[in-house]
Parts: sequence; structure tokens; C-alpha cells
Amino acid sequence: MITLKSNDGETFDIDETVAVELQIIKHMMEVGCSGGEIPLPNVAGKILAKLIEYCNKHVESGKAEEQAASDDLKAYDADFVNVDQATLFDIILAANYLDIKSLLDLTCQTVADMVKGKTPEEIRRIFCIKNDFTPEEEEEVRRENQWAFE
Amino acid sequence: MAYSFPEEVLEHVFSFIHTDKDRNSISVVCKSWYAVERWSRRRIFVGNCYAVSPVIVTRRFPELRSVALKGKPHFADFNLVPEGWGGDVFPWIATMARAYPMLEELRLKRMVVTDESLELISRSFKNFKVLVLSSCEGFSTDGLAAIAANCRNLRELDLRESEVDDLSGHWLTHFPDSCTSLVSLNISCLGSEVSFSALERLVGRCPNLRTLRLNRAVPLERLPNLLRRAPQLVELGTGAYSAEPRPEVFSSLEGAFGSCKELKSLSGFWDVVPDYLPSIYSICSGITSLNLSYATIQSPDLIKLVTQCPNLQRLWVLDYIEDSGLEALAAHCKDLQELRVFPSEPYGVEPNVALTEQGLVSVSEGCPKLHSVLYFCRQMTNAALVSIAKNRPNMTRFRLCIIEPQTPDYQTMEPLDVGFGAIVEHCKELRRLSLSGLLTDRMFDYIGTHAKKLEMLSVAFAGDSDLGLHHVLFGCESLRKLEIRDCPFGDKALLANAAKLETMRSLWMSSCSVSYGACKLLGQKMPRLNVEVIDERGPLDSRPESCSVEKLYIYRSVAGPRRDMPQFVSTMDEDSELRLS
Repeated sequence: MITLKSNDGETFDIDETVAVELQIIKHMMEVGCSGGEIPLPNVAGKILAKLIEYCNKHVESGKAEEQAASDDLKAYDADFVNVDQATLFDIILAANYLDIKSLLDLTCQTVADMVKGKTPEEIRRIFCIKNDFTPEEEEEVRRENQWAFE
Repeated sequence: MAYSFPEEVLEHVFSFIHTDKDRNSISVVCKSWYAVERWSRRRIFVGNCYAVSPVIVTRRFPELRSVALKGKPHFADFNLVPEGWGGDVFPWIATMARAYPMLEELRLKRMVVTDESLELISRSFKNFKVLVLSSCEGFSTDGLAAIAANCRNLRELDLRESEVDDLSGHWLTHFPDSCTSLVSLNISCLGSEVSFSALERLVGRCPNLRTLRLNRAVPLERLPNLLRRAPQLVELGTGAYSAEPRPEVFSSLEGAFGSCKELKSLSGFWDVVPDYLPSIYSICSGITSLNLSYATIQSPDLIKLVTQCPNLQRLWVLDYIEDSGLEALAAHCKDLQELRVFPSEPYGVEPNVALTEQGLVSVSEGCPKLHSVLYFCRQMTNAALVSIAKNRPNMTRFRLCIIEPQTPDYQTMEPLDVGFGAIVEHCKELRRLSLSGLLTDRMFDYIGTHAKKLEMLSVAFAGDSDLGLHHVLFGCESLRKLEIRDCPFGDKALLANAAKLETMRSLWMSSCSVSYGACKLLGQKMPRLNVEVIDERGPLDSRPESCSVEKLYIYRSVAGPRRDMPQFVSTMDEDSELRLS
């Protein structure tokens, strides 16, 4: 068993077979530093719980080989990312920090799908991004995009 | 609350975003997104090679793997662009050789590609995989030999419709024995015989070969051996499909085809002998694409073949198919999406086949998924066009070529305004339209009013006045490419809609009534447009302002006027007025 501790003091015991899904933990295990509680200052308990749930599910499904298990996993994944934007972004950051490849792929794909087909204005609104181009700079990029690369 | 993802996360998100439009959108969101986007962009499409320069491209996108470029305007296909006009890819290759050592794919259309360029490609890009040369020219089989010899990981070599200086078929032997990576090989445009044993060995050692388009010089007797070495083929272009009728050749062919369970697309069929057509019947039920545009067989044989292909989605065929063949097509091929009918005798004065507007009407009635049409014929009526429009509101590409210019509705002798008007009114998703027949300004009014999604329009021998051009420029909101020949369009509409030209990729006008003075004025007014006058009659300086120019090609560019113009091309920029006064 490996014990992880979130930045707000919650602890989680996870099986080694699940812990290796978190590449950062896997490396620690390989070099023998995984005893005791592993503190994760960048991850809140609420988010760590979700990540562990995801990893548990994927490790379980990995053992089953039928198509039904694979379809079930797809449905699970679709449901998993069906959360509010703030939570989704927290999950991405945590998955990136802990290096959980399949979760990072899933969440980044989800964000990419939010971006596809949208105008720059819409994208800025969705992600609360400030446009730091001057009007002239923006005009120049748009022109180059449309005239040269479309 | 603003989220700033670390760059590697942003890059990961962007790795799932592929279309040009989306990549362009994300680059404008903010400066950090622009930066991450430009470093992570791997493929670009440049619709007009002169709209941008190689330096601008390599400066903005340091890590490209795949580049697509288009050169000459579309009317080059009809020999309207003089030899030496431009579109040489060499400056691009030279710049990219330094900037993109990891380049993998190059797709070029209507560009001049020399052997020097091909040799440079073959030496500069260690991981080069895909070379597609579509309607290109300027190279010989020596250049192909360099590609074959040096590109160790070559997956695709596709020479579709290029003009190659075919010195010999020997170039194919330059593929080393270690080359096993080919997925697609299209040499259908080559004239001379390639070494058959080299070809057979090459095909045999490439287990992933999916597309093989042979040239005419590969005789029918050689085909079974090739097919037996590549039973996994999905797309096949045969060579000449003729031989003396011999039962053993036939059964060998039939057997070889029978073992190709994955075949979906067939082409080639030069000189086809009808006796040999049944050799492909066993695989017809799987065929989705059939290109018979070189098959000079008559309607009964075409009908026999086509009715065996219930899953046909695309058919390219000569007008030998006639109305009766198109009726059979409409009855049997319910999945048909694209139809192209080419003229067997385009320069003949009298019709040589029984192909009329009725054939197209039948197909439009019987094939609910038909959305892309190219149809050469000799007669048309407004009633037929209205039927077609009402039958197929899902039409996206409609190119009608009535062979004789300015042909009216043969029943009413009226212009075809109403018919084409119905097309643009009912087919709300129409993106591409080519007009022919007798057409007045009224037709253009219909286009400007209804064709809101139209992106490309080709016009020849049509219209009465500048009003026609004005309707199109003013009304067609999505217009990207406009090509016009032999129409009475002049200065007024062009100058009045000058700003519109910056929203389009290009405008081509030849044998119209645009004056030299108007071109100069346009060039001055619109400094970001390249207004290029093509005139082979001699220097422009001494021309009066009112003189009509031969040809005009106008396009927007972020790279300024080009520096590689031949002496018969002049750019009308802000300085030209000063220089010439």
C-alpha cells in the first residue's frame, strides 16, 4: 500500500498496482522513496479523490478483456469529465503534476473539444482569458492566418 | 477566474486540435497561446504560394512536418496561364531544407518542380515520407530516381496528372531492396515503360501497399502477377486493359482480382477491350470508386459494368455512357455521391453520343446522396436544371459544361438564367459552381442573391455588362475564388468592389474589358493586393490607359509583390504610377 496526502491534509491509501498509474509515484517507488506518507502539495483532497477513483477504475478494467468492459470504460470516462469547468481544470493540472498519461489525454481532449469550432472571442470567454494583443497586432495575426494559412 | 495552464498542458491540449481554422483561431486568443500554437503547429496549407513567403512561414512555424502548397490559378488547366508564369517551388525547398530537416510531407498542386528541387528534397529531409505532385510540371524521371534512391522511409509517391519529362522507366530500379515502406504509388501519368521486374519486386516487398496506380505502359498480362503480390490493395489503377482474347489470360486476371478482397477503387482501363471487363465482376460489389475516364467502351458494356456496383459512390466516365447508361446508374447505384461525365469528342461539331440533359436529370432523381457533379454535354434546358435543383437541394459542387459557348435552352431558345437561378436558390449548401450556356446579367443577380455559401465560381462567355460582375462581388459573401474568361466585364464593377478583393483568395479575368488604367488605379488603391497584368503583346509602358489587358490575376498577399515575374507579367503597385509617368 502507498499513502498519499493532499495539500489539505486528507490521506489516501492506494494499492501499488494503482499507484503506478501515477508516473511520479512510480518513479519514487523505483528509487525506493515511497515509504510513509507521500505529500502532494499541489493537489487538493477533493481532486485527489477523483484521480484515485479514475485510476482504480482503469486498473480494474485493464484486467478484463471483453469489449463490454471497454465500452463500459468509455462511458465511465465520458461521465468522469462531465464536471464543472473549474473541477475539470483542477483535474488537468493534477494529472499533469502526477503524470497520469491516460487521464491527461482524456481531459486535454475534452478541453480541445471545447475549443474546436469556436471563434477566438468565444474561446477567451470560456477560459476567462484576457486578450493581450493590441488591436493592430491582433489584426495582423488574423490577416496572416486568413490570407496565408487557410 | 482566469486559468493559466502550464505551457506543456496547453501544448497537450493543442495536440488534439488539427484543422487549419481551429489552429488559426487559437493563435489569436492571446500572446501565450500564439506562442505555444506556433511552436506546436505541424502542418500548414498554403492555398496560394504567393500569398506568403517561405521566410514568413519558417519564421512563424519552426517545427512543421507537413506542408501543402498551391501555385498556378485553376485556369492553368485550360492553358490560359502562359509558360514561365511562375509557381516554382525551389525557393520553398531551399528555405525549408534549412528550417525543417524533419519535414515529412510535401503536397504540391500546379507548381513547377524541377529535378533540382526533387534532388534537394531527397537529400535534405531524412525522414521524408510523402510526396504528392498534383498537376505539376518541370521535372523528369531523373528527379524521381533521386527520390526513390534517397528517401529511405518513403510512404507515398503520387504523381497525379503531372507532366513529366519521361526519359526512361529505369528510375524505378532506384528504390533500394531495403525499401519496404510504400503505402501509395501513383505513376499513372508516366508514358514510358517501367522495369516490370523491378515493379513486381517493389510491390511484393511492401506489405502495407494500399494504393497502386499503374501507367498505360503496364500491359494487361502483367497485372495478375502484380495483384498476387499485393492482395491487400484497396485502390488499383490498371495499365492498358487490352490483349488478344485468350482464356488463360482472362482466368488468370479473374483469379487475381478474386484474391483482392479489399479493393474499393479502380481506375486506368486505357484501351479497354470489353471481353476482358467481366474479369473484375467478382469484386464489383465492394467497389465504391470507379474512374473510367479513359475507357472508350460503349454504353451497353458500361451499363453491364456499372450495374454490378451497387455500392458505387464515385463515378468518372466518358459520355459514351449516354442517357441510357445514366438511367441504369440511377436505378442501381443508390449510394452515388459524385458523378463526372467527360466528353469523348469535345471538338466535334455534331454530337457523337446520345447524352443529353436527361441523363443528368435521371441521376439527380435516382441518387439521393448525389452532391458533386461535373457534366459535359451539348444541350440543356431551364426545365432540366430546375428539376435537378429541386431533386438535389443537397448539391455542393455543380459544374456544367455545355460545350458550345452561349448555347441557349434548346427548347425555348431562352437564356439559362432561370435554370441556374434554381440551382443557387434550392441548393443552399452550394460551394462550387461552374456556369455555361447563354447567360445574362439576371443570372448573376440570382447568384448574388442566393449563393451565400458559394466559395468558387467559374464563368465563361456570360453576362451582358459590369452589373453581372457587380452582383457576384457584392452578393456572394463566402466567395474565395472567382475565375472569369471572355465576359463583358470591365472597370466599374471591379473598382467599386475593390475592398471585396481582400476578402477573397484570388480573382482571374481574361479576355474581358478591364483597362490598363483601371488596373493601375486598383493597384494604387489596394496596396495589399497583388494586381498582376499578364500581357504577351509586349511592354505595357507605351499602352494607352483605355487599352484592355489580356489577362488579370489579383490576389491578396502578406508578402508584397513577387520578385520572380517573367517579362510578360507586371504588378500594378503604388509605385507603378510614378514609374510610368
